[in-house]
Amino acid sequence: MKKVIALTLVLLIVGTFVFAQGGRDKADDVEVVKFWYHFDNPETALNPLIEKFEAENPGIKIEPERISWDTYNQKLLTAIAGGYPPDVAQVKLWWQPQLVEMGALLPLDDYIANWDGKDDIHDRIWELTRHSDGKQYYMPLQMVILYLYYRADMFEELGLEVPKTREEFLDVAKKLTRDLDGDGIVDVYGFGIRGARGGHDWWGTFVLSSGAEFFDEHGNSKLTTPEAIAANQWFIDLYRKHKVSPPTTPSDGFVEVIANMKSGKTAMTIHHLGSAAELEAVLGDKISAAPVPRGTEGYWTSFGDEENAIFAATEVPDAAFKWASFLAEAENNAIWQKSSGQVSVNKSNASADADRFLKATTDSAEFAGVLPAHPGVSEFVESLWPALMQQAFAGQITSAEMMQAIEDHFAK
Amino acid sequence: MRHTHPLRLILGTYLPIILIVLFAIGPYIWTFISSITPETALYQAEFRFFPEQPTSENYTRLFTKLDFTSNILDSLMVAFFTAILGLAITVPASYSFSRYKFKGRNQLLMQFLIINMFPIMLLIVPLFIMMRVIGIMDTHLALIVAYSTFTIPFSVWMLTSFFNAIPIDLDKAAQIDGCSRLGAMFRVVLPVAMPGIVSTGIYIFITAWNEYLYAAILTSSKVRTIPIALQNMIGEFRIEWGLLTAGGVLSALPVIILFFFIQKQLITGMTAGAVKG
Amino acid sequence: MGQPSLRKKRDLLPYALVTPALAITIAIIFLPMFQTITYSFSHYVLYKPQEKGFIGLENFKTAFTDPLFASSLINTFIWIVGIIVFQFLLGFATALLLNRKFPGRGIARSLILIPWVTPSVITALMWRWMYDGNHGLINQLLSKAGLIKEFIPFLAQTSTAMGSIIVALIWQGFPFFAIMLLAGLQAIPEELYEAAEIDGATRIQQFFRVTIPMLKPVILTTVLLRTIWVANSLDIILIMTGGGPGYSTYTLPVYSYIKAYKGMDFGYSATLAVLLTILLMIIVAGYVRNILKSQED
Repeated sequence: MKKVIALTLVLLIVGTFVFAQGGRDKADDVEVVKFWYHFDNPETALNPLIEKFEAENPGIKIEPERISWDTYNQKLLTAIAGGYPPDVAQVKLWWQPQLVEMGALLPLDDYIANWDGKDDIHDRIWELTRHSDGKQYYMPLQMVILYLYYRADMFEELGLEVPKTREEFLDVAKKLTRDLDGDGIVDVYGFGIRGARGGHDWWGTFVLSSGAEFFDEHGNSKLTTPEAIAANQWFIDLYRKHKVSPPTTPSDGFVEVIANMKSGKTAMTIHHLGSAAELEAVLGDKISAAPVPRGTEGYWTSFGDEENAIFAATEVPDAAFKWASFLAEAENNAIWQKSSGQVSVNKSNASADADRFLKATTDSAEFAGVLPAHPGVSEFVESLWPALMQQAFAGQITSAEMMQAIEDHFAK
Repeated sequence: MRHTHPLRLILGTYLPIILIVLFAIGPYIWTFISSITPETALYQAEFRFFPEQPTSENYTRLFTKLDFTSNILDSLMVAFFTAILGLAITVPASYSFSRYKFKGRNQLLMQFLIINMFPIMLLIVPLFIMMRVIGIMDTHLALIVAYSTFTIPFSVWMLTSFFNAIPIDLDKAAQIDGCSRLGAMFRVVLPVAMPGIVSTGIYIFITAWNEYLYAAILTSSKVRTIPIALQNMIGEFRIEWGLLTAGGVLSALPVIILFFFIQKQLITGMTAGAVKG
Repeated sequence: MGQPSLRKKRDLLPYALVTPALAITIAIIFLPMFQTITYSFSHYVLYKPQEKGFIGLENFKTAFTDPLFASSLINTFIWIVGIIVFQFLLGFATALLLNRKFPGRGIARSLILIPWVTPSVITALMWRWMYDGNHGLINQLLSKAGLIKEFIPFLAQTSTAMGSIIVALIWQGFPFFAIMLLAGLQAIPEELYEAAEIDGATRIQQFFRVTIPMLKPVILTTVLLRTIWVANSLDIILIMTGGGPGYSTYTLPVYSYIKAYKGMDFGYSATLAVLLTILLMIIVAGYVRNILKSQED
C-alpha cells in the first residue's frame, strides 16, 4: 500500500511539472494579433490566409483561436467581462449597441478613410454596419442574406408560380400542404417555420414588412399599432389557422427546418447560402431559391449578422486593423468565403454567372435589413422572441400581448 | 449464494438485466447507426433503421483530418490525473471525517456541500480571470485544478459515507494488533473500502471526462478534450452529424474498456479484514 | 450506526488529513463564490458599467414579484423530484441485479456505464433527434407498433416537453446510482445475511433488515449529492429546448444562465443562483442533519 502512495505522489509531482507548461515565448519586436473566429466545417483552417498575411507583413504574427459556434458568444462575453478580450474577432451585429455602450469596441473611421479597399465593398454593407452614433466599428467580412427556398419540382407538379406577395405566398403554401398517400395525415407542409431561437428572421419577413416597426423615424415604437398586431396575427395564423407549418414548429431550430426540407416534409422555408450546398447535395435540381415575398408595406429580410470588430483594449490597433482589412480585400475575402460558405463582401468578386442561390442573395441585397441598434436586441433574439412566439403559437398569449411584451422590452 | 431455479434465474435476473442494458445502450446503438450512415441518407422521406450503404468514412475523417487521437489523449490525461489527485486528497480527508470527531468537523462538511450547491456556470468569469492571472490558461493543469474544485467536495461526501459503513471495530482491532493510526487506515480499512474508493475514482474520472463548460472557457488550442472536439462539429448553420456521432461513439469506449478491467475491484475483500465475533 | 471516535486529545492528525482538500477548494472556489454573491446584491448589467453599484436586496425583491421566477421554481421542483425518484429506483434495481452472480456480469456492468459516460452534448442531441416530431426514432417505433397514428411533437408541446427531457436525464444518470449502490452492496458482509437466514428471515425480510440499514449512509449520500447535481444541471435542457416551448422548461439554473449570457445581466443572474442555493439548502437540510447525526452516536 505504501508503494502505491509513493508512486502516486511521484506521479503527481511529475505531472505538475509536465503540465504546468503554458504560454508561448514571444520575440519582443513582433506584434501579435489575437484573432477569434469560427467556421462551421471542422476540417477547414485559416492557415493559408495567415501564411499569406504574415509573408506580406513581417513583424506581425496572427494568433488565431478557433472556437466552436456553440460556445463562441459565451466565451467572447466571458473574455470581455473578465477584461481579456482578443484583438480582433467575429462579432454579431446585434451586440453592437451593448459593446459600444460599454466602450469595448474601437471606432475605425480613421483607419477606413485611409484604406484602399473601402470602395470595393458593397455600399449597403457600410450602411447596415454603421452604428447609430455615426461611427464605423465593424470591418466587413462576409455577407449573408436570407431568401426563400422552394421545391421547384413540387411547384411544377402543382402548376404554381413563385410567390411575389404575401397573399400569393399563403395561397401557394396552402396548396402545397397535402396528404400524399390518402391516409388522412398530412405528408407535406407548405412552409417550414423556425419557431426556436433564430426564427425571428422568418417572423421579420412577414411582420416587419407589413406594418410593424421597432422604431420609426422619430424613434417611436410601431409594434402595437393595429397593423402591426394584425401582421403578427397573420404570421401566427400560418401555424394555428392555416396549418401550413408542421406541428413541430415551436421547437424547430435550423437543423430541423433544413432536415424537413431535405426529407420533403416541407416545400418552402427561409434560409441563406450557408445551407445551399447541403440542400443541393440531397435535392439537386429540385431545390431552388428566390427573394422573399413582399409584405403589405414592403420587403424585409435579414442581413446576416456577423463582421469583424476590433476591441478597444487592444495593444496593437494598427496591426489589428491590417489583419481585419486584409480579410476584407477581394482576393483574400474570396478565400475566406470558401471556408465560411458565405458571400464575398467585395463588388469585384460579384460574379456574372452566379448560381440561383447566389442570385437570390444578391437580388435581395437592396432591401435586406438588420434589427435596430438597441441594447435589448440580443436578449430579444436569444430568449425573448422564441419564448413569446412559442407561447403565441400555442395559443397561450394573443398577438397583441406578444407585441406589447416586445414593445415593453425595448422601452426599457 | 444459494442455487436458484433456472426459470427463476431467467425471469428474475436475466430478463430485467437485458431490458435495463437495452435501455442503457439503445440510444448509443442509434448513435452508432447514425455514425455509419452516409450524409445524404440521413434525412430520407422513407425511414430506415439501418442504412443501405453503411460507411466508415466518418471514423477515418476523425482520425486523419481532425486529429481525434490527440483529443482522446488530452481527455485521458486530464481525467486520469484529476482522479488520482482527487483520490489522493479526499481519501485521507474522508477517513478523518469518518473516524475522528474533531472540532469543526460538521461545519467543514457542510462547507463542502454548500460549495457544490453553487451553480458552476456562474463561477466561470472569476475563474477565468484567476487562471489568466496565474498564467496556466490552456494547460492540462488548469483543467485538473478546475475539475478538482467541484469533484473534491462530492468525493469527500461519497467516501465519508463509504467509510462510515465500515465498522470502527476494524480500526480498533488493528490498533490492538500494534498498528499506528495511519497504519490502521492503510493496512486494514482501505482494502475494505476499496469498492467505495474505486467507484469514487470512477465518478471523478467520468465527471472530468465529460466536462465541457470549463474546458471550453479555460483552454483554446493546446489542450482540446473530447467534448470540445465534439462541440466543434456543431456549427452555426450545419451540424456534422456523421462526425459528431462517430466521435460520440468513440468517446464512450475508453472509459467502458477501462472500467471493464477494474470492475473486479468493486468486489470487496471483506474477508481480508473481517472481524470475528 | 455507532461510530465512536478514534480521537485522542489535542489531535492534529484529523486536521492534517483534511487540509489538502480544504486548501484547494478555498483557494479556487471561495473567491469566485464570494464575488458572485456580491453580484447578487448589485446592479450589474455588463453593458452598463457606469450603472454598476450596490443595491442591497432590490434584486431579491424583483425575484419575488417575477412570475418567471415562480414558474421556474415550480419547474425546478418537478425536475428534481421526477428525475431523482426514477433515477434512484432504476439505479437501485440495477445494482441489486448486478450484485448477483451470473455469466456476463462484467460485461453488463460495463455496458451500464454508457449513459453516464456519454458526453452531455451527444446525449442531448441524440435524444432531441430521437424525439423529433417529423423523423424521430421514438415516433417511428411508436407508429410501427401501431400505438400512434400521427407523430407526437414531443419537444414542441408544453405538455410533453418537460417529461421528455426528464426521461433523457433518467437515462443519463441512473448508472451513477447503480455503480455507487453496487459498491455499497459489496461492502455488506456475507455473515450478516447468513445470520439472518439462520434466524429464519425470508429474502424480503433480509432485504429490509440487513441490506437497507447497511446501505443507509450510501443511499442518503448518493441521493443528496445527486439532488444537488440535478438541481444545478442545465446543459441538456439548453440544447434540447433552450427553455421552451414558451417558458415551460425554464428551471432556475436555466433562467439564471439565460439572464447572464443572453441578457448580460450578471447581477440578477447571480441573485437567481443564490436563491437556488438557498432553496437547495432548505431541501437538503433534513437530509444533512440526518447524515451528520448518524455519525454522531
